[in-house]
Amino acid sequence: MRSSVRSGNSQPRWLFPFVVIVVLVLSVLPLARLAWTGIVSALRGDAGQLLADPALWSATLNTLATSFLGMIAAVILGGSFAVLLTLFDVRGRSALGFLFMLPMMIPPQVTALSWIGLTGPSSTLLKALGMAPPLGSPQPLYSIGGIALLFGVQHAPLVYLAMRAGLLALPKEGVEAARLSGASTVRVLLDIVLPLAMPGLVAGAAIAFVSGVGNFGIPAILGIPASIYTLPTLIYSKFASFGPTTFADISIISVLITLLAVAGLSVEARVLRGRDYRTIGLPGQAAVFRLGAVRLPAEMLLWLVTFIILVLPFLALLAGSLAPAYGVPLNLETATLHAYEEVILRQSVTRSAFTNSVSLALASAFGLLVISVLLGYYIVQTKSRTAATISALAEVPYALPGIVLAVAFILLLAAPLPILGFSVYGTIWIILIAYLSSFLAVSLKPVISAYRQFDPSLEEAARLSGAGFYRRMRDVLVPLIAPAAGSSIILVFLIACNELTVSALLWSAGTQTLGVAIYNLDDSGSFNLAAALSVLVVVMVVVLMLILELMARRLPAGALPWRR
Amino acid sequence: MNKIVSAFSALAVTAMLAGAVEAADLVIYTSQPNEDAQATVDGFKAANPGLEVEWVRDGTPKIMAKLMAEIEAGNPVADILLIADTVTLERMKQAGQLMAYKSPEAQNFDAALYDAEGHYYSTKLITTGIMYNTQAGMKPTSWKDLIKAEAKGLVAMPSPLTSGAALIHAQTLTGVDSLGWDYYRSLKDNGAVASGGNGAVLKSVASGEKAYGMVVDYMPIREKAKGAPVEFVFPEEGVSAVTEPVAILSSTEHAEAAKKFIDYILSEEGQKVQLGLGYIPARNGLGVPEGFPARDQIKVLPVNAADALKTSEEDLKTFSDIFGTAG
Repeated sequence: MRSSVRSGNSQPRWLFPFVVIVVLVLSVLPLARLAWTGIVSALRGDAGQLLADPALWSATLNTLATSFLGMIAAVILGGSFAVLLTLFDVRGRSALGFLFMLPMMIPPQVTALSWIGLTGPSSTLLKALGMAPPLGSPQPLYSIGGIALLFGVQHAPLVYLAMRAGLLALPKEGVEAARLSGASTVRVLLDIVLPLAMPGLVAGAAIAFVSGVGNFGIPAILGIPASIYTLPTLIYSKFASFGPTTFADISIISVLITLLAVAGLSVEARVLRGRDYRTIGLPGQAAVFRLGAVRLPAEMLLWLVTFIILVLPFLALLAGSLAPAYGVPLNLETATLHAYEEVILRQSVTRSAFTNSVSLALASAFGLLVISVLLGYYIVQTKSRTAATISALAEVPYALPGIVLAVAFILLLAAPLPILGFSVYGTIWIILIAYLSSFLAVSLKPVISAYRQFDPSLEEAARLSGAGFYRRMRDVLVPLIAPAAGSSIILVFLIACNELTVSALLWSAGTQTLGVAIYNLDDSGSFNLAAALSVLVVVMVVVLMLILELMARRLPAGALPWRR
Repeated sequence: MNKIVSAFSALAVTAMLAGAVEAADLVIYTSQPNEDAQATVDGFKAANPGLEVEWVRDGTPKIMAKLMAEIEAGNPVADILLIADTVTLERMKQAGQLMAYKSPEAQNFDAALYDAEGHYYSTKLITTGIMYNTQAGMKPTSWKDLIKAEAKGLVAMPSPLTSGAALIHAQTLTGVDSLGWDYYRSLKDNGAVASGGNGAVLKSVASGEKAYGMVVDYMPIREKAKGAPVEFVFPEEGVSAVTEPVAILSSTEHAEAAKKFIDYILSEEGQKVQLGLGYIPARNGLGVPEGFPARDQIKVLPVNAADALKTSEEDLKTFSDIFGTAG
């Protein structure tokens, strides 16, 4: 037997330092640097000019308005889907649930592009149908309401998930008791289901609000053409017109975004405070209500909404990618695959963007796998306050808007590295480090829940028999968490491949990502190329999600964000 | 096994990342639209096989901001700049950021079209005129048609904060006695919007969101050929023009490849590629693309480059104050 002095010990000596370094580099250092620059420039008085700029306050107002209205839209959409699909006897629930989840995983700038293709006089789809609005009609989506609507569509799945988790935990007994006492369906819903579903609803609403505050892709495409700026797009435009005060400005705006996000979350905590929702009895199968005569209309409504928020925009995107030029009506004769040819075969930018995004996504997925397996092991095994702190610190970067994280890493890494003497700014490595930081929590979550699921006595038995750390990892732990690890790989890959917000600030010559390529193509006026690339990205997302869906049965509960 | 797997994946991933950013022999920052930039680079690579070329495209002010941020961080990536206007390059020349190179091709160019010391060379002539959607109610012939009641709320134009050509255009028009900044104020009063680059203007006029636009010549002329419902006019007062100059950065580590690029783009072959893309070439004796009037028929309004350089900051501020734009 291979054994050393420490073989029986629970953790190898290097594990703790490793964990500390990971958390330091990926979370503590960048955030501390951001806070430091923010405070220093505020104290030096650089903030004065920025804070006196009306553009900052109108951007703040726009951010609040779009996020708040977007939250309401998300709550209406996500809430009604959650209630209908969880509590009522609707047919085709799993298919509807899967389709409803798709917008969450589609990159926001693609969502925005496809909706632009759907409405307004520019719509190739409407033109093909002869229904386009007349010349000079404004694009209705280039407005606060348009941005909020798309926030609603994009973030409705978050509300759906949060509410569904609460609804699934409803005790059957309560509902049955009420029914036996003669309460009507409406009464039961109002008096029993609603109060118990409240925490999920509030939590979902808070997540939707915070996601809106940090969203870059949608306001970038819908807001900038109409000079409607939100805080993330203001950072982007400040950065795009680089000047001596840029670093100070963007750090202060980032701090402002963080404050808004924290405010949103603390409103949630306040609402939920003092409510105690302990339920007695088994959280059985969700209580199923019968819809009776309204079942068919309800089902048709659900499919109609799904069609409007998912299929129609995609068709519009497809139509846009097939049109030869702007304003040309699309029909069988004018349709062309030129845009696909250009994007796949000719444009070196899109090809290198594909390579970059796929490499970055693979590197993030596998790098984070190694980190999560070790970090998760440490967190689950060490039940100390340090472990709790480390676990919390690992979560922070994911909770922050991507644009804030990108700013933090620019501030941290713009100057040449100490000792090594070169700068990673402008290289692909800065994007990779930011990805590792941003998606650490995504990768960690499934792994930790898998560790928690199995009996610690399994590992103890191996340890008592003298198996060292590597041996236990190899023979006991890794096989048990393999399904969760597999899902974490695909999940991180999926998110990283479509990422825009972080890379929009960090890209440079040769390091464009797919998200940046789509945004820049649209920005340079090549809508058909942007649409073609978007169609390819959507196809990729759907395929990857279907693969995960097929794996779902073998995964621990909570591993997939859309199957909680 | 876990160790082997992780070691292997780390190795594979490092290799992929290294491959993803394989050192290019030449990095070009350009404001040409994607398809044109690709065609230019393809032509250069065909003439110089074996050279790996990387390029980045954005509006002139934005790509300059990117470059300046990189210079600030001590890590400029670009070797070649191919951007809208000479004013920006004149400023860089004065700051010592450009390398002088006397290209043998220069003899075929009008002396006014390049820097005598060889810091930059004009590659083409791009004018800014008026485009309109064929469904529009009026056929504009003068800049002043855009401030008429028929055009109320129907005019789009590029923002000088995004487009280098748009800045020169504003500086040219405001220098015309009968127009001036008052003309821009009237445009704003007439509901004209200024945001994004020329591509955004093309998109909103071709798609019918707006009926009229100030835009660079080649975009609507080229789209019209593809069947888009647009027309381009050279207004009677005259048009502004930029010359899309090319220059080598003094920080380049690929000076030889960069010189080859300058020679290529100024060569007859390189200029014919630009002609084929729908641009008026800067080189003598090549004619104009289809859809353009003869070169001597185009009335180009004068702009004083030295003055334009001095007042750029101020003009940008005046423009953003009028239109309230940030990008």
